[in-house]
Amino acid sequence: MSSNQFIVASPPTDAISALKFSPDPNSARIVVSSWDKNVYLYDLRDENGSVGEGKLLQKFEHRAPVLDVCFGEDENVIYTAGLDWDVKKIDLNTSEQTVLSSHEAGVRNVVYSREHNIVISASWDSTLHIHRPDAGANPDSIATIVPLPSKPFSISLTDSRLVVAMASRALHIYDLKALALLSAEADSSVPGGNRVEVEPWQRRESSLRFMTRCVACMPDGAGYVSSSIEGRVAVEWFDPSPESQARKYAFKCHRQPAEDGVDVIYPVNALAFHPVFGTFATGGGDGGVSFWDGISKRRIRHYPKHDTSVSAVAFSGNGKYLAVAISPGFEDGKDDVAEGAVQIYVRELGETEAKGKGAK
Amino acid sequence: MGKKRRGPSLEELLARPWCYYCERDFDDLKILISHQKAKHFKCDRCQRRLNTAGGLSVHLSQVHKEQLTEVDNALPNRMGLDVEIFGMEGIPEDVLKAHQQRVATQFQQAEVERQAVTGNPPAGASANGQPAKKPKLEAASDLKKRLAEHRAKRAEALAGGSSGDVTPTSAGQSATPTGFAQSPQAAATPAPDQQQSFPPAYGSAAAAPAFSFPQTHPGQFQPYPANGNQPLDMPVPQPYVPNGYPQPFPAIPGQPPTYGAPPSFLQQPTPPEHRPSALPAASNLPQRPTFGAPTVNAHQMQQMHMGHVPQSQATPAYNGDGPVSQSVDDLISGAANAAAASKPTEGVEKPAKKDKSKPSGHMIYSHETISPEERMAELPRYAFVPDTTSQTVLGEVPPAVVVGAIQTSDTVLDPAR
Repeated sequence: MSSNQFIVASPPTDAISALKFSPDPNSARIVVSSWDKNVYLYDLRDENGSVGEGKLLQKFEHRAPVLDVCFGEDENVIYTAGLDWDVKKIDLNTSEQTVLSSHEAGVRNVVYSREHNIVISASWDSTLHIHRPDAGANPDSIATIVPLPSKPFSISLTDSRLVVAMASRALHIYDLKALALLSAEADSSVPGGNRVEVEPWQRRESSLRFMTRCVACMPDGAGYVSSSIEGRVAVEWFDPSPESQARKYAFKCHRQPAEDGVDVIYPVNALAFHPVFGTFATGGGDGGVSFWDGISKRRIRHYPKHDTSVSAVAFSGNGKYLAVAISPGFEDGKDDVAEGAVQIYVRELGETEAKGKGAK
Repeated sequence: MGKKRRGPSLEELLARPWCYYCERDFDDLKILISHQKAKHFKCDRCQRRLNTAGGLSVHLSQVHKEQLTEVDNALPNRMGLDVEIFGMEGIPEDVLKAHQQRVATQFQQAEVERQAVTGNPPAGASANGQPAKKPKLEAASDLKKRLAEHRAKRAEALAGGSSGDVTPTSAGQSATPTGFAQSPQAAATPAPDQQQSFPPAYGSAAAAPAFSFPQTHPGQFQPYPANGNQPLDMPVPQPYVPNGYPQPFPAIPGQPPTYGAPPSFLQQPTPPEHRPSALPAASNLPQRPTFGAPTVNAHQMQQMHMGHVPQSQATPAYNGDGPVSQSVDDLISGAANAAAASKPTEGVEKPAKKDKSKPSGHMIYSHETISPEERMAELPRYAFVPDTTSQTVLGEVPPAVVVGAIQTSDTVLDPAR
C-alpha cells in the first residue's frame, strides 16, 4: 500500500471518544472529542489547500471528558456532549459556548438533524433530549425529554429516522418528524411538560447476542448496521416487510485467531458509512479497519492493524478521505496514556478504494 | 467405460498452483499469475498491473513518488515485500511445505467427512489391495438373457407355477438387489445356509448384487455359476471388510463401530492399537487418518506460517466442555450424522450445535450492561461532580438516577448541595 496516509499533528492527550468530518464536501475540517476534556478542531488542508497532516485550529476545554461531538447546521457550529452531563453548542467563529440542556448523567451521544433542525442527545440517565438550536433566541426554551427503557449506547440518524441502540440489546427506531413535532409542541411552561413519552416507530431487539457497541445508518436511509462487543456486525433494513427483514444478516470480524484455536474477540468500536458508495468501514479493538460492502456482503479492504484500539472512524463529506482515531483500549482502563498511543490517521482514498465490488 | 470421478486426488490437489499472498489455488499457472497481477501487484493509483511486488514498488516510487510498504489483499503474515514472488516462483521452502501439509490435511478431512456421510470406501482404496467398486454394467447379451429369464419367470408366476416369490429371504433380496451395495452389514448378516437355499431360478436375481458386492463373501454365490452371469469383479484374496463391521479388529471397549471409517488410509495402515484409546470421548469419531503429521486447521496453519509451532492436535484432552477446534467439531458432527444408527457410547458428550450466545473465543470486553465508556468514566481521573449550584436543575435529581459511573469511592457526592 502506498503511503497516502497522514498522521494529524497535535493529537489529543487522552483517548479519543469521537471524530467527525465536516459535512461540507469541500471542507477538510474535523472535530475530535477526547477524554482529556477537550474538543479539537483541525483543518487538514494547509495554506495551499493540499491535504496533509493539517493543523489544530481550536481547542475547547470542557469540565469533564467529552464523549461525543457533531457538526451543526454548518461547519461553524458544533454540538458536544460529555461526562459533565451537559449538551453544548459551540460557535466556532466566536468560540461562544452555550449549554443547551443538562442531563442527569453523562451524555453519551449527540447528533444533529439538518432536515428537521434538531439536536438530539442521548444520556446514560436513559433519556433523549431533543433541542431546537434556533431557540437560542429564546432562552426559556428547554429541551424535550424522551425517556428510554435502557441506557443508550449509540445513536445514528438518517434524514427521517433515528436509531437508538441501548443496553439489554434494545433498539428503538424513531420517526424524526414525530420527534421534531413533539419537541415543537411540548409545553415547557408546565413543570414536567417537556417530558413526553414517545412511542417509537419500531422497537427491535438487537440481532447480535452481545452488547451493542455502535450503530450507523445507511446514507440512503434504507437501513442500518450495528456492531457488538463480540466482534460482530449486523446489517438490517428499516422496512418491516418480511422480504426486507429476510435480508438482514450478521458477520464476524475483528478477531484474532490464537494458537490454541480460541479466537481473541475484539469489540467493534466504530462504524462509518461512505457517503458516496454506501459501503461502510468498521474499526475494532484490534486496531484494524476494514471496508465492507453491505449489499453484496463482501469485504472490500482490510488495512494493517494499528498498535492500539480504533475508537472512531469517519469519512469526509466527499468520501475522499478516511479518518481513523486510535486510542488505548477503553477496555483496560490504564492510568497513563503512552506517547503516541492516541493518534488520528487520515487516509487519502483512491478512486475505487472504498467502492463496492458488486455482486459475486 | 470411464471411472466415475469423485473429485481430485491428493496428488492433483498438491500440484495445483496457488498464490503465496492469499493461499488461493488455481487451475493453472496462467490464471495464478493474472490473479497476482490483479489482486496483489496492481497499482491503486493508476490501475497498472505489475508483475511482481518489487516491480510495483519501483513503479510506485518512480511514477507516484510513493513508497510501497505492503502487498495488497495479502494474508496478514504475507504482506511483506522481502520475498519476490512470481506465480509459484519464490515461495519460501517452509511456506511451501506448510501449504502442502494444509492441502493434505484438508483433503483427508474432506475424505473422512465424505466417508462418514456416504459410507463409501476411500477413493484410493483400490491401491490398498481392495478393488474399487466397479460400475454395474452388463453386456447387452447378458441383459437380453436376463430379460428373457425374467419374462419366463413372470409367465411362470402368472401361471402359478413358482413358489419363489413367497420365499421370504430370497424375495426380499431379489426385490432389493441394489440394497446390498448400500448396506454391507445387511449383506453380511444372512446365514450361509439361507443363501444356499436359493432356488436356482433366482440365480440371476440373486447374483445381481454380486456385481456391486462381489468381494464381501467370495465364493458365496458360487453355487450359481450356471446362469452365465460372471461377476465382473474377480474375487480377491483379501476379504472386503464392510465399514463399521469391526470383526477383524479386536473389539475395543467403548469403541462403537466406526461407521464409514476405512481400516487404513493412504496406504499407511493404521492398526487399531494406534487409536487413542485413552481418550474415551474420541471414540465416537471416525478414525483419524495418520499422515505423519498432526492435523492442523487453518488458524494453526496461519500461526505456523508466522513461525509458531502448533500444539499437537493428536493429544489434546477432549474434555467435552473446552473449546474444541473446528476440525474436530466437523469430524464429530459428520460422525454423529453417519453413526446416528449406532448408539453413542456412555458418557460421551456430543458438543451441541454452535451456540451463538456463547462467544467462540476470548472476548476482550465482555460486560453485559456496562459499556466500555461507562467503565472508563468510573476511573477517578475522569470523575466529575456536577456543580449544581451554578445551574438550573431540571426538577429533582433522584440519587438513584445519578449514574454510578460517576461515583467512585474517591468521589463524594453531596446530595444536599
